[in-house]
Amino acid sequence: MMNVELLDALLASIDKQEPVALVTVTRSRKPEQVGRRCLIWLDRPRLGRLGLSRQQETWVEHAARDALRKGEHRLLRDEENALELFVEVQQRPPTLVIVGAGHIAAPLCEIATLCEFSVTVIDDRPLFANRERFPKAARVIAADIRQTVRELAMDENTYVVLVTRGHSLDVECLLEIIDRPLAYIGMIGSARRVRAVFELLHREQGMPREKLARVYAPIGLPIEAETPAEIAVAIMAEIINVRRGGQAISLAELGRKSHL
Amino acid sequence: MESIYHALKKYLERGETVAMATIVETKGSTPREVGAKMLIHPLGQHVGTIGGGCGEADVIRAAMDVIQTGEPIHVRVDLTEEVSMQSMGVCGGVMDVYVERWAPNEGAS
Repeated sequence: MMNVELLDALLASIDKQEPVALVTVTRSRKPEQVGRRCLIWLDRPRLGRLGLSRQQETWVEHAARDALRKGEHRLLRDEENALELFVEVQQRPPTLVIVGAGHIAAPLCEIATLCEFSVTVIDDRPLFANRERFPKAARVIAADIRQTVRELAMDENTYVVLVTRGHSLDVECLLEIIDRPLAYIGMIGSARRVRAVFELLHREQGMPREKLARVYAPIGLPIEAETPAEIAVAIMAEIINVRRGGQAISLAELGRKSHL
Repeated sequence: MESIYHALKKYLERGETVAMATIVETKGSTPREVGAKMLIHPLGQHVGTIGGGCGEADVIRAAMDVIQTGEPIHVRVDLTEEVSMQSMGVCGGVMDVYVERWAPNEGAS
């Protein structure tokens, strides 16, 4: 099989955001094996041959699928045969959904794109939610905000930032997504305002406090951000901190500590 | 979203032979993570980075040979030197970089 053929199949899966692993023999006692590649998917036969023993092939396929499910690259070693393979998992880029296309959304979309997030922007005002303001977004949706948030496909790879024109609209959107298995939910608002709103949700709607504790509000890391661009940096820094398991303390965590 | 493979495809379509460097293993603190890739082009139109600095320069030099010979190699980038003014890229770790050739009319297996 030709390089080009393998590459086309790889690109087709990348474009469809379908999980695929590129497996390459990086060391072997048999030099002719080094450099051989194949593609392994979760749900269909592989493409390309590594030319290993049947037992080794089965081992590689299991390990590659396990790596695919966990979404992590892996270096496989068979010490006995001096065999080493690199399993490169094509990771789906994380998605950032920015609800509200105002002053913070524009710089946030820029920074998130730089950090290789696929960005979706939602607002009901076409004057704000348009391509000119968000040239780098993957999607810009100008439609009813709450309904769009309700219907948009989101998963554990999705980060949501609620920055609409009004706090009550932010809260309405929050209620639409709070039960979903998302990577991150952040909502703008001052510490005082957020505390009052969460208290209200707890007392009047019976919303459990643990559920509200997952919401990053006030949003961002405590870097005394003031301008829209600075606030966007604080938000993005918080998202990176959550994604990479960093050690920075969020404004929301500081707020909860000081008001226990 | 554009991946490094889109760039690779463009080069191969133009009939150009390039090398791909991939960080396959790291120990200690390194400038980039396992899986980071760089495409090395014979005339310097590289794509991506494996961390920059002297380590990357070593990998580019090695990649030029790989483009010629077609033999895949490993470059061990050692960043554990003592901190001094002369050696800038001192992160404290070691990375194993696998470098392979991609040519338009070659077989993958």
